[in-house]
Amino acid sequence: MTVDSLFILNTSGTSVIQKHWCDDVSIRRASLVVVPAFTKYLRSFAAMHDAEPVWSAPLDTVCIHIQRKELVYLGIVSQEIPPLEVLELLEGVDQALTEYIGLLSEVTIKENFTTVYQLLSEMVDSGCAVTTDTSVLRGLVPVPSLVNRVIENVSGIGIGTEKRPDVNTSSTPWRAQGIRHTNNEFFVDIVEKIDAIVNSNGSVVSYDVSGDIGCKSRLSGMPDLLLALNRPEVMDDVAFHPCVRINKWENEGVIGFVPPDGQFKLASFHVATDASPRILPIYVHATTTRQELARTIELSAEVGQCGGRPIEKVQVRVPLPSQAYNIRVQCKAGTYTVSNGRTSQVEWFMKTLKAGDRSSRLVIQYFVRQSAVTNAVAGNSSPQAVSSDQDMAQEAFVDFEVAGYSVSSIKVDSLKLMRESYKLFKGVRYITKAGSFQVRF
Amino acid sequence: MMNSTIQTNIARLQIMKAKVLAALRKGENYELKTELNSEYKERRKEAVRRVIANMTVGKDVSGLFTDVLKNMHTDDLEIKKLIYLYLINYAKTQPDLVILAINTFVKDAEDTNPLIRALAIRTMGCLHVEEVLDYLCDPLHKCLKDTNPYVRKTAVMCVAKVYDLSVDVAEDNGFVESVREALSDSNSMVVSNAVSALVEMNDMSPHHDVWRLDANTVGKLLTAINECIEWGQIAILETLVDYTPRDEKEAENICERLLPRLQHANGSVVLTTVRLLLKYEKHVHRADLLAQFSKKMVPPLITLLSSDPEIQYVALRNINIILQRHPKLLSKEIRVFFCRYNDPIYVKYEKLDVLVRICSERNTEPLLNELKEYAKEVDMDFVSRAVQAISRLAIRYETAAEKAIKVLLELLETRANHIVQSCMVALQDILRRYPRCFDSLVDGLCEYVDDVNEPEARAALIWILGEYSESVTNISNILTSFLESFLEEEDSGVQLALINAAVKFFLKSPQQGQTLVLKALQTATEKCANPDVRDRAYIYWRLLSADPNAARAVALAEKPAIELENVDLSPQLLEELVNELGCVSSVLQKPARLFVYSLAEKAGVPRDSGISAMGLDDADSVAAGAGDGAGSSSAGIDASNEGEPELLISF
Repeated sequence: MTVDSLFILNTSGTSVIQKHWCDDVSIRRASLVVVPAFTKYLRSFAAMHDAEPVWSAPLDTVCIHIQRKELVYLGIVSQEIPPLEVLELLEGVDQALTEYIGLLSEVTIKENFTTVYQLLSEMVDSGCAVTTDTSVLRGLVPVPSLVNRVIENVSGIGIGTEKRPDVNTSSTPWRAQGIRHTNNEFFVDIVEKIDAIVNSNGSVVSYDVSGDIGCKSRLSGMPDLLLALNRPEVMDDVAFHPCVRINKWENEGVIGFVPPDGQFKLASFHVATDASPRILPIYVHATTTRQELARTIELSAEVGQCGGRPIEKVQVRVPLPSQAYNIRVQCKAGTYTVSNGRTSQVEWFMKTLKAGDRSSRLVIQYFVRQSAVTNAVAGNSSPQAVSSDQDMAQEAFVDFEVAGYSVSSIKVDSLKLMRESYKLFKGVRYITKAGSFQVRF
Repeated sequence: MMNSTIQTNIARLQIMKAKVLAALRKGENYELKTELNSEYKERRKEAVRRVIANMTVGKDVSGLFTDVLKNMHTDDLEIKKLIYLYLINYAKTQPDLVILAINTFVKDAEDTNPLIRALAIRTMGCLHVEEVLDYLCDPLHKCLKDTNPYVRKTAVMCVAKVYDLSVDVAEDNGFVESVREALSDSNSMVVSNAVSALVEMNDMSPHHDVWRLDANTVGKLLTAINECIEWGQIAILETLVDYTPRDEKEAENICERLLPRLQHANGSVVLTTVRLLLKYEKHVHRADLLAQFSKKMVPPLITLLSSDPEIQYVALRNINIILQRHPKLLSKEIRVFFCRYNDPIYVKYEKLDVLVRICSERNTEPLLNELKEYAKEVDMDFVSRAVQAISRLAIRYETAAEKAIKVLLELLETRANHIVQSCMVALQDILRRYPRCFDSLVDGLCEYVDDVNEPEARAALIWILGEYSESVTNISNILTSFLESFLEEEDSGVQLALINAAVKFFLKSPQQGQTLVLKALQTATEKCANPDVRDRAYIYWRLLSADPNAARAVALAEKPAIELENVDLSPQLLEELVNELGCVSSVLQKPARLFVYSLAEKAGVPRDSGISAMGLDDADSVAAGAGDGAGSSSAGIDASNEGEPELLISF
């Protein structure tokens, strides 16, 4: 047995749904002692997401949890087991529920609890994870459709029983027999993400490119595909969907697989650090000035190297220090918002940014509270000597997308279809995005 | 008069309210009962849904047992599943009534739809009621031999549940034997479930003799693993942990067959594989193979760091352990561990630890620059840890000391309160590590006399002043002003530091120091309430008056060099945690017997008191022994001091 109990809690720690794979005593222990203690633990953090995901709870239990949107998924274990297994399972539960129900919240989960229970009992058997693959689950638990629900409720006539789900027992558990499509299509999306930290002087502190190969398959029968890439050698850590024949990749450097039907992630990869020349598609500069209590940040954005394509969905987020007030923004291109939460932040949006755009500038001005300044100089007679960085915004987070551009220059060389004789329509897209892209001032 | 009328009215109202509530409560179950017996299928279906919904929020719907059972015979799979769920929940409280359901179960176990067959067999196992066992045996036999693998894999899991209820029934009917046979099943899902079931039964059995891995089985499992989905792979990998290869050749072979598993998207598969490689490589001696294993392990570990923060955390905790076994493994990847502003705080702490651990002498400079950036962040705990990391680097690499001091001085200039406190403590540690190397900077530190308001930082600055009194221009004034607030001082550490500093100052320049030291000792012996401080002052006083040379030998003695505090786990604990890599114990960094109840009983570990005995070095408790500022700073613990007279340690 791996997991004793699984809880889905709302953000205030109340149980929305729970399932147990243990004896009565442990069930009572979990719901009467462990979950309340866990809730208290979560609340002890100013920001809930700072709570450690693996927590040694009372009564010899360990609480392992993830937080996704409005929900907390909690697994309680009382044995020496790998926490990653539980984390991956919880993540799998979240993904499966999202695929079945759509937008997850306390309300939607309660509305669809019969589906949630059916899913949980297929995904976990006596505390061991059995499957988290949604293409397998779809064969076991019917997807609730709004239309079905409405017709049933209004007319009282059930239509849910007509299409009985069937188990797939072939040697390719991810693909059912006898799939038919009128148009046979296969789409490949290569999405690459740049994680970078750029210093104030423009030097790149850390730089990392990782990517996903997402596919959408609408193919009939049992197609066997062979996908060849132009530079497989630059991918230094590749993780594949279970359908891929790993030996073939190891020996020949091509990806051979029988695809699942519908959308799936074929592979995720990391680009070898020595193979990527640290290309930045966008440059964001900042100059900061301070004058008495006023602080000014001038931001400018420019297209970097991205194959001459425009940069889309540019978003620059600047968190401001807690002492900031009276925030004013001047914006020469795009739009902006100022939000006042626990700390304020300014967000700057541009739909597209083209090479040579000179006018993309944003000026943020704010004042810092007098008390903050005097605290920093407590006991110091010369206020001029203050150069505290605490009241100046430190960095900006940049988000962007470049369509049709692959930063690692990985391209699809060919896609071959075997075992089936029909004509196949292929499509390949490349997108480069910002992962965690941080610019320091 | 008025009052009593009101009171009776209130009482009446309350009675009415209770009645209405009772009626409502009774009403809902009553209504459900009617609905469950409705002649319309859809109304019955909706009623079952509502019953289950009530059950899950904790309302008692056990009274509807028989009415719910009536609906069990249905073609609607969803309703069937819900009713089974209801049964699992209430079977234990009403075992007699469960017998009523047996017929349907047995019939379902022979249904044409494999889903229903599997569902029936799974539910019968989950009921966990002994009364059911007799009826379960026949269907279970059939399902174990079913043509459909989905049914077989479910049946295999069911055997473990039977075993839990009655070992005899499971053994005598040959169920356990069937599970062993299932290891050779043609379907990989059945194989992996058989592995899980056998492991589970083995744990339950008193002599742990349900199965033993042999070379033959291991070979079979390693073949099956290629076909398995991720969870099956995990189950198989985990059983391999308990296997000891017969010879080097076999270990090499297993390792090579494990390597492809490193390329899995599931982090748990990756980490368990790393665990196995670390375990088996002890039996491998060929250098080229070992190098290949290490090389292959790095990229997947790095990739784990771009997953969700929760997974990153577990990965980092484990990387921390792996690095103690293979210190050089990730030294080229230092930038991957740089903290991101939006990392959760628990990820940042772990990254800091790893950064200091893998930093080599070559890349201290970029890391120090990076740490300086962290020290400007808002979270105070994180800032003080970043500053501490700076001093740890300086203490470890002499070449880094100068740059570290430059960074610390730049940080001091920000004059942000919490930065100043941490920096002062860090500077003290570095100055103590490299005595007489950085005399020139001490005078500049006097600027911050008014900024040090944490006791630890104040004690640090006073220690520096005493140690380098000859390099400070107006030392006498500064110490005097500290001395003026001597009695208001709440922390005895600062008071002790001040006495020590005064004595050192006097011994170095008797002319200027005489009044100061007298005043210090007088105040401490006559007015101070703390006996430790008083005693220390008395000792100095006598020492100084009896034999100034002896006092010099004691107070200005050459201090033993401080070393980096011992952040490594003890070898014995490390060995234990490497074996349990990826498990809860390696994340909590304490052995399983301390938190798994059944193991704790077996090992006879006294609850809660075991941690320090287990060799987890509790840095604070060691540090608490030394009174002087230099000893009590967290980075400056010197183990070699143990057992020597206290007065000597304290300098």
